Amino acid sequence: MRSFLLKRLPSGLLVLVLASFLVFLILRLIPGDPATSLAGPDAGPEAVAAIRGRLGLDQPLLTQYVGWIGDLLTGNLGPSYAIGGRISDLIGNGIGATAQLTLGALLLVILIALPLGVLGATTRRRPVAAAVRAFTTAVLAVPPFVTGVLLVLLFAVTLRLLPAGGHESLLDQPDLAVQYLLMPALCLALPSAAVLARYLKDGLERALAEDYVRTATALGVSRRRIVWQHALPNALPSTITVLGLQIGHLIAGAVLVERIFAWPGLGQLIEQGVIRRDYPVVQDLLLLIVAVHVAVQLLTDLVYAWLDPRIRWE
Amino acid sequence: MSRPVLQVRDLTVEFGATRAVDGVGFELSAGDTLGLVGESGSGKSTTALALSRMLPAGGRITAGSVKLDGQDLAALPEAALRGLRGRRIAMIFQDPMSSLNPVLTVGKQLDEALRAHGAANRAERAARATVLLDLVGIPGAADRLGDHPHQFSGGQRQRIMIALALANEAEVLVADEPTTALDPTVQQQILRLLSRINRETGTALVVISHDLGVIAQTCRRILVLRDGRVVERGDTGEVLAAPRHPYTKQLLAAVPRLEAPSEAAANSLPGPEPLLTVRGLRKTYGPRRRPVTALDSVDLELHPGETLGLVGESGSGKSTLARALVQVHAPSAGTIRFRGEELGRGGGRAARRELQMVFQDPYSSLNPRMTAGRIIEEPLIAHGLGSAAERAARVAELLRQVGLEPESADRHPRAFSGGQRQRIGIARALAPRPSVLICDEPVSALDVSVQAQVIELLARLQRELGLAVLFIAHDLAVVRQVSHRIAVMHRGRIVETGPADRVVTAPEHPYTAELLAAVPRLDAVGPTLRSTV
Amino acid sequence: MTALTTPSAEAPRRTARAHRNRYLAGLLTGRGLTGLTLVGLLALAGLFAPLLTDLDPDAQSALALAGPSADHPFGTDDLGRDLFSRVLHGIGTDLAITFSAVPVGALLGCSFALLAASSRWADVTVQRAFDLLLAFPGIILALAVTAVLGPGRWPVLIVIALAEIPGFGRQLRAGILVQREREYALAARVGGASRLRVLLRHVVPNAADPLIVQTAVALSIGVFIEGAMSFLGLGVRPPEPTLGSILSQSVAYLSTHPTFAAAPLAATTALVLGFTLIAEALNRGIRR
Repeated sequence: MRSFLLKRLPSGLLVLVLASFLVFLILRLIPGDPATSLAGPDAGPEAVAAIRGRLGLDQPLLTQYVGWIGDLLTGNLGPSYAIGGRISDLIGNGIGATAQLTLGALLLVILIALPLGVLGATTRRRPVAAAVRAFTTAVLAVPPFVTGVLLVLLFAVTLRLLPAGGHESLLDQPDLAVQYLLMPALCLALPSAAVLARYLKDGLERALAEDYVRTATALGVSRRRIVWQHALPNALPSTITVLGLQIGHLIAGAVLVERIFAWPGLGQLIEQGVIRRDYPVVQDLLLLIVAVHVAVQLLTDLVYAWLDPRIRWE
Repeated sequence: MSRPVLQVRDLTVEFGATRAVDGVGFELSAGDTLGLVGESGSGKSTTALALSRMLPAGGRITAGSVKLDGQDLAALPEAALRGLRGRRIAMIFQDPMSSLNPVLTVGKQLDEALRAHGAANRAERAARATVLLDLVGIPGAADRLGDHPHQFSGGQRQRIMIALALANEAEVLVADEPTTALDPTVQQQILRLLSRINRETGTALVVISHDLGVIAQTCRRILVLRDGRVVERGDTGEVLAAPRHPYTKQLLAAVPRLEAPSEAAANSLPGPEPLLTVRGLRKTYGPRRRPVTALDSVDLELHPGETLGLVGESGSGKSTLARALVQVHAPSAGTIRFRGEELGRGGGRAARRELQMVFQDPYSSLNPRMTAGRIIEEPLIAHGLGSAAERAARVAELLRQVGLEPESADRHPRAFSGGQRQRIGIARALAPRPSVLICDEPVSALDVSVQAQVIELLARLQRELGLAVLFIAHDLAVVRQVSHRIAVMHRGRIVETGPADRVVTAPEHPYTAELLAAVPRLDAVGPTLRSTV
Repeated sequence: MTALTTPSAEAPRRTARAHRNRYLAGLLTGRGLTGLTLVGLLALAGLFAPLLTDLDPDAQSALALAGPSADHPFGTDDLGRDLFSRVLHGIGTDLAITFSAVPVGALLGCSFALLAASSRWADVTVQRAFDLLLAFPGIILALAVTAVLGPGRWPVLIVIALAEIPGFGRQLRAGILVQREREYALAARVGGASRLRVLLRHVVPNAADPLIVQTAVALSIGVFIEGAMSFLGLGVRPPEPTLGSILSQSVAYLSTHPTFAAAPLAATTALVLGFTLIAEALNRGIRR
């Protein structure tokens, strides 16, 4: 297991370093001068030069890069431009909300996909199988921002069960916080849950057609145990890989969902950063998201290896 | 002779409109042994699965009964059947790799089998699992319960399959091609194990096999199946010695006998100068620090018009040698000379055309997207031989030469049977007019009757074209029949080379003797087996 | 033995025709035909939008947020523009964007996969490149690209193309790795074919099946990305209509004027559903 980690870790770190180059360079590729666009059309050359100095844009690229990474590692993220405040404070304010949203969604993804996938693969009743298929197809055919709006319309406007948007701290008022969380998390979770349910269903169907299932049947093992104890462990590893990729989509999708439900997280922050051209904020957040994504992929690789002994022993 | 445990009457299985098993019947008493023999499509495996109603989707028992102690399994509800499977009728399947669950430990799989029939106590189950593994001959059984199937060898995996089947002391053990995926020496061990279990536990044994030798060694009685029907039944020794049904006679005639002398001399006389000379060939794989040696100082000569048989078990390096000869793998050391010129140094281009290969698997060795004609034409295009019209004429000629209609050139591989596909593979190899044909297990995936046809075709081609053939196989009887000389490979080395008849009748190397002893013989119905018909 | 030597005695496995028309067989099922009909009708509507309506999609009027009527079959939007015309033109824009961006992404992804097949070193490099692209999932990629280029039609195209590269590339790479180990590839090599010829003529055609399915999936993802970018204000600049931009405008009026959202929502869903059904139908056809 440790040797497996040692094999995967370098490529993960490599991707992270390459991504940091990319993020760093992208924002220096902006047509024209970021300092000019930051300063606005009315600013004089001195103001532009001052901004350039504060951004470090007058330094050689390598110095800028090393300085940026050094600041990141020491937690000194500097000030934001257009949005105002220190970037570390901005991120600190939003990260809790985004973590709640994505983790809540992840939980829902698993809670929805697992029973749905197993049901879809094992049911002998045609209407049930068709219903599972119709549900996953329908969820995948409606864009998530529309799903969100429809959820608001149904639960907040028509049924008045849940608040339409906003956020409560989980520590102060847990019950209210969960009410606020439920719809955005569901909206974020549904497409990923549908994808995962499909992969799980396909994987289980493949596993159930394997010879070892025939062996277990010949030994008199019950159908339920065959599904959960024999076939599922074989279908899980590849499903975990898909789940890892879906976590990336949850992080990305959070940007949309936070917008729909006025959820005060990092997605709102990065969207604001892009629209108001606050490059330091965008740069730091992009790297943060990529870093989380790389870490998640590494983690799923490890879980895969843990679940599949053939890889573990390689 | 006790009363019958299992009575099968008029068993009929249909897949849609196709009748896979048609009125099969037999009886089995405690401690009895019965062999079901037949070629692919004979319904033998379907019969085995139908006994405990484990037919694949679409299959149905439409008539007949399977009575276990008077209880008809064909009419029992599924839940009740589950309680019988593994406890009263147990099964052993062909491919132990795919038939064992790759992500569960062996201990867990044994535990599942025991638990399915109510062995409640976890510690007791673990103790019983150890006993079972020990019974089937896994060394250090107690320490291996936590291992996964891929950590065992092929033979050990089949032993684990047997342990699973024995877990609940079933009265009937059904073994469906239990040794087909195994090497001859391992096959021998597994067959002995099955016979021992039959003797010691009194479990009735049903062995399903395409190999008459396997049945001859393990079963007192035999059923010969063809197209879902029993064509002949009786005492194994009697049926094999004096078959009555014409199909049984054909089948027996098609089986190559180890005792039969080589027929190679009738095809051609090898030339004096070697065409292909291999000296000190070495091939290693894997990391530099811990390399795996696949070939170890191999010396070999192949003369024009000669068939050299190359035998050895899986992993012995046979296929690696073949691939080195056709220049797909570069050797790590040593030389291969073709017509005196060293391959890889100028001699390679001519050799690339003149050395062609026939593959084992007639399904995966033909590109499914190309027509038969296109597949045969490919080497001609690759070597820039002839115009389009000339190539088309050549393809038609080749198809005729291998016994296929020239019109079949437009069809895709799927439209052909296994034997026909192998003929296409041979035509492809012949296309660029090679002087050497390297056949890597060319008949081991085929039924015996088809196997005989393909061997006959290869012999005819050698007569007509004077080809030199390197015939790689694990079946010594086939190799003796077709070869002038035989080379025996073991762990990357050639341990013995000599005239085909001499190597078989008077082996010099102990490994050759071991291989020969492992071949199941048709005349060797076990001494312990008495007639009980 | 001679009695057995007639090769025709063996029954052929299956007919050749079943093989040739596997895609067609998949598409000619209820699912496939539904998908084709949905996408076909919408594509025709988008293509012939100028013929189907003579109203300018960008022309504003005083009649804002009207419900469906004879003059405006889908009603009007918040600026009084005809929704029928806007949705038809929007479908056209969406299809133009996805049908140009997806092939570019597919081509790039497949080229990378072929490059990866050339050597071990190239394989590692290409894999890391795919990892790098995947490290910027969907909307994050859109944010990164628009941070540089600003919103507009081209950034949407670029984001869709970039997002599709790893999907196609990994799919083809995996297929090549599997097919290359099959015996027919070895047989072709032994038959004298060069490495490149084996790869292009033998291996790739056998590895390409999943790519057809991937294309249908990618087209639906393209429609999603366009919509999400419009929703965040990063998409095609107004007033040019796209399905995403009309939808995102309508969201604000959902509780008061639900008919505003109905037509763009139905069109988007039908389009994505159509692509999804086609993908599923093809997948079934291949697996059969």
